[in-house]
Amino acid sequence: MSKLNKLFKNLKIKKKSAFCGFVTSGDPNYASSKAIMKEMTKHCHIIEAGQSFSTSTSDSPIIMEANDRAIKSGMNMTKTFKLIKEVIKETNNDTCFVIMTYLNPIVVYGVKKFIKSSASIGIAGVIIVDNNLNSPEEKILLNGLSKKGIGYTKIISPTNSEKFIQQSIKNTKNSFIYITTYAGLTGSKNVNLNNVKKLVYKVKKYSKNMPTGVGFGIKTPKQVKQVSKYADVVICGSNIVNKIKEGHERRLSAPKLAKFVAKYVKQLSESTK
Amino acid sequence: MKIDPFKELNPPTKDGYWINKKNKERYGGQYISPLLVPNLKRVQEGFFKAIKDKKFMKELNEELLSFIGVNTPIHFSPELTKLAGGEKKVGKIFLKRTDLHTNHSHKPISAYSCCKLAKYLGFKKVLTETGAFQNGRAVASACAALGLDLDIYVGANDAKKLAINKDISALHGANIIEVHDSTKSLLPAMAAALRAFQSEPDSMYIVGSVAGPHPYPLMVRTFASVIGRITKKQFKSLTGKDPSTIFAVCGGGSNLESITYPYIKSNKVKLYAVESAGKGIKTGKHGATISGGGKMGVLLGMRSKVLLNGGNIADSFTEASGLDFSSIGPEVAYLHSIGRIKFLTATDIEAKKTFMMMARKIGLICAIEACYVIHAAIREIKKTGKPKQNHLIHLCGSGEPNVAQMMEFMKKNK
Ligand SMILES: Cc1ncc(COP(=O)(O)O)c(C=O)c1O
Repeated sequence: MSKLNKLFKNLKIKKKSAFCGFVTSGDPNYASSKAIMKEMTKHCHIIEAGQSFSTSTSDSPIIMEANDRAIKSGMNMTKTFKLIKEVIKETNNDTCFVIMTYLNPIVVYGVKKFIKSSASIGIAGVIIVDNNLNSPEEKILLNGLSKKGIGYTKIISPTNSEKFIQQSIKNTKNSFIYITTYAGLTGSKNVNLNNVKKLVYKVKKYSKNMPTGVGFGIKTPKQVKQVSKYADVVICGSNIVNKIKEGHERRLSAPKLAKFVAKYVKQLSESTK
Repeated sequence: MKIDPFKELNPPTKDGYWINKKNKERYGGQYISPLLVPNLKRVQEGFFKAIKDKKFMKELNEELLSFIGVNTPIHFSPELTKLAGGEKKVGKIFLKRTDLHTNHSHKPISAYSCCKLAKYLGFKKVLTETGAFQNGRAVASACAALGLDLDIYVGANDAKKLAINKDISALHGANIIEVHDSTKSLLPAMAAALRAFQSEPDSMYIVGSVAGPHPYPLMVRTFASVIGRITKKQFKSLTGKDPSTIFAVCGGGSNLESITYPYIKSNKVKLYAVESAGKGIKTGKHGATISGGGKMGVLLGMRSKVLLNGGNIADSFTEASGLDFSSIGPEVAYLHSIGRIKFLTATDIEAKKTFMMMARKIGLICAIEACYVIHAAIREIKKTGKPKQNHLIHLCGSGEPNVAQMMEFMKKNK
């Protein structure tokens, strides 16, 4: 059974939702990022690690800045794999690592090599923001990752068509489908959680057992609690990244920065139902 | 002159790929966040509907003729011919005077056409990006003419440069938004415009070249090909036949495709693209995606050749802002891959010297971008031109925006 499926099975028994924290891999630098992720494994069922791409077409200014910090500190796909590998080895808990990135870093790294590296270090899932449902790359990655038991997540939003939603459900394997609270950039201020709830139920209607993840603009423990009532995974990103920025600007050492970020993550995570 | 109707000569697949049959490599496609899918669908369906709508196309062509002045002359240049070795040795060199359009370059054609489409589809506002404000200015003028609001995204470093086109864009009423991401230049500006499109589905995004996710490369070259359609008729009536060679400069590839598109199936017409070699290809400081060894990558919604630096996009470098782009339109990359378009380069210094030569000997102030093609074309014609041949160079823009930059060059080189 894939890592993510195992997680969902366990949580189902406990009737609990999973908490997923997003960070940009290597933000603000390799050592701090590693310390942060290690600390976060104590509170996150899933860590979504963003492999930055300089011409990202979908990230909020907050995450764009994190991408810049990571790129400036010399991060790339090879280092992201190394970082996650070390975190997994040194923490030895069940936290699932999901890589979130764009197609270009994967194409340049080599699609086959990417699948192989993901499998060998124990990546639980992959999210590629700009991979088209019908592209040849989609087929290769979906099949290749599935064969290794690695999850593949598609993203949908309240504005997508029924047909698009159904195909996205089909292309989501061994993982959760990512439902954005609105069609916009990550980290927006006002979210209408009613639209999401409808979309979660729609997904469940099409595929009863498809785990649903909800993200974009969820930042308060109250929101986490609310969303976790109907979603299987609650995803928080921008505000965690903001904490990293804040701590980095206060020049906290890697261990202190990790503790500072994790304190906030813990609050969010403990709010999941 | 009447504009001939558009004929599809090189259709992409329904997913927007041009596929090289020999090596199966694909160019184009639509690599975007799922959140942008509905927006692009609206543009795509609207575009296909509009180009089949006789009333829309008739009106558009009339306005391109009257408002943009697309019917610009082609004329023989005895001076350039002489520089290349003389008519007896290499044939004749002609110039297509696209610099005479309203707003002084090829950009206004696709800018105006896309804005007209935006209006046709009921959008009230347009989003676009720009580097040197050539596209920004063209879209700003079109939006003013058509009563549309406009946000122009520009890299903060580009925005700092004093530029007449920036001021003109502002005078037309455009809202200018500076982008501070990454290299603060054209690429992040384009990414920012696409991101804005994601949050503003009621605005239509317009791209400044034959790049971006499907249908943009197809849409821009289809609209821009008006230049080539007119050129084909003009050249026939001027010389009795098609040109032997056509030369155009290539950043993203819009002016190249605009003039060469109607000839891509006419194999007797040799097509040349000229890239900026910046300080020289070997220095690594250039804007030559093809000649500088760009690799296949995926950016800004398309699969195409890209200058790469690890998994990220490498910075391009050239003093011609219009050529400062680390990638190239997918259809152009495809046409290069099948050997239909040959690529040449010229360096920044060669282009600047050519600018001065054109100013002093020909009496024209040419866009610095156009000077790369003039230089490379003369060099190539000198080498390979034959008597009785006719060569056509695309003079794609006026050099007024480059005046300050060139005054400095002139003073330094006294
Ligand atoms: C005068 C001129 N020529 C050429 C270009 C290069 O773009 P493209 O290759 O898309 O024609 C530009 C771009 O701004 C331009 O302004």
